[in-house]
Amino acid sequence: MPPSVFSLSQTPVTCHSFDANRQQLAVSFNSNDAQILTRKGNEWTATETLAEHDKTITSIDWAPNSNRIVTSSQDRNAYVWQQTPDPETGALIWKPTLVLLRINRAATHVRWSPKEDKFAVASGARAIAVCSFDPENNWWVSKHLKKPIRSTVLAVDWHPNNVLLAAGSADMKARVFSAYIKEVDEKPAPSVWGSRLPFNVLCGEYSSPAGGWVHAVSFSPSGDVLAFASHDSSISIVYPGGPVIHNIKMSSLPFVTLTWTAEDSVVAAGHDCQPTVFSGSDAGWQAVGTLDDSKSSSSARSGFGSSPVGRLNSTAFNTFRDADTRGQASAGASGGDTKVLTIHQNTITSVRPYEGQPGQVTKVSTTGVDGNLVIWDVNEVASLAAQFGGIHLK
Amino acid sequence: MDNAFRKIDIDAFDEDVLQESELYEPDPRDPAQVLDESKQRQVAVRGALAKGDIRGALAISLENAPFGPNVEEAKTLTLQTILSILNSTKSTEVSAVVKALTQDEQDTLMKYLYKGMAMPGWGDISGSVLLGWHEKLTEVAGTGCIVRTMTDRRTV
Repeated sequence: MPPSVFSLSQTPVTCHSFDANRQQLAVSFNSNDAQILTRKGNEWTATETLAEHDKTITSIDWAPNSNRIVTSSQDRNAYVWQQTPDPETGALIWKPTLVLLRINRAATHVRWSPKEDKFAVASGARAIAVCSFDPENNWWVSKHLKKPIRSTVLAVDWHPNNVLLAAGSADMKARVFSAYIKEVDEKPAPSVWGSRLPFNVLCGEYSSPAGGWVHAVSFSPSGDVLAFASHDSSISIVYPGGPVIHNIKMSSLPFVTLTWTAEDSVVAAGHDCQPTVFSGSDAGWQAVGTLDDSKSSSSARSGFGSSPVGRLNSTAFNTFRDADTRGQASAGASGGDTKVLTIHQNTITSVRPYEGQPGQVTKVSTTGVDGNLVIWDVNEVASLAAQFGGIHLK
Repeated sequence: MDNAFRKIDIDAFDEDVLQESELYEPDPRDPAQVLDESKQRQVAVRGALAKGDIRGALAISLENAPFGPNVEEAKTLTLQTILSILNSTKSTEVSAVVKALTQDEQDTLMKYLYKGMAMPGWGDISGSVLLGWHEKLTEVAGTGCIVRTMTDRRTV
């Protein structure tokens, strides 16, 4: 099945999160508000606006079972939104509850824990706020993971055991912490990451050889393996026993988001505008292809196949190149085609599982700076070399 | 509008500021040892060049490149060595040589190309050579190689 493309907006989509039935979608269009979109046939229509933040929203997560939404923003706040009946009309509306994050810099990323009784907020304050509900006072309280974080935390991801938390940071490290909260959690069973796990224990600290900000982290479905994407155009897969780290360097631009689709498969996406599939085991990992089979989606793409620089092969690029090499202004030589050769027309900022169970994800969804939402079948992998990633062909 | 405040070094007021040295693993080797190795490599490279073995000469010079503080002399020496290889390669051979390099060697070579272009005055001598190599290396190793040159704090 070819990927489904929905144009949500002319503005960038900061982040997206679906509800449990995939009939509603929470997104932020690079603004202070989050929108709830409802699917009607092949259209997504805005049905409600979550307006409470007073700076740009950075991340949204929709808890599938408890049906709560958490949003984080540059205004240093997070809100938990819950559907409650309006006292006057009786209609269900989303009501915000402020979370006491106690951070003095922007909140950058937020994720519910698997049991949905905690969430973690990454921030520019060199800290992660782990939040849990305090029923006595009827509010969300936070505990900070601080040491040894040295810079802004860019991404967090929960281990399936509801206790361990992975974090990627601008100090070029991916870390695994214990986010054990006595009041909420049962004692976790020992795992490959350790056996004694009080709050803020550092279970591992990893980096890519060439460094770079760690934009995305993710535990494998079993929780025994960690994947992270860093700004050196590589992804790393960490097996904590050794630790053994498999680092796959790409010839394209860096990835900023990734997700596991199975215990042996990862989808990563970012500045290269196309989701790339990696697969492997503890013996080794490699890039196996892209979900963006551009040949099927547009015949106009043939003929551009030999560009060594991928998306740079645009009209503007060709105009300047022709002016440089041939001394001519090439009006109309390339037909005024300003489209990038991929389905997403700009950086993909978020990739998330869409269909299937953890470990057997069959579809993933992506949103990006081009304002598009695309739903991909993860089994339709096209070879990278056959694409305009013709870098290796030349 | 007064924007002098933008020039204030706010890190100076931060007791817990992130240091450059915390961003990468330091070179375990002693600076004197690094310089010695660079000199030995220069000799080995001359030998390889005399035999016309460009690929071999590059492999020698790109191995264990000096990085970090206190090894400026070794860094300059290695850059000179590499420039001498680049300058003595026929432009028709560049593509084949670049393709034969390992991925790590390609990344390190890209670092030296940018360093060469960044040195004041050096660009006048070998500017077109550096640009020629840069073009061929980008064709083979892609934009990812350039991105790694920018992100890697182990500057050569």
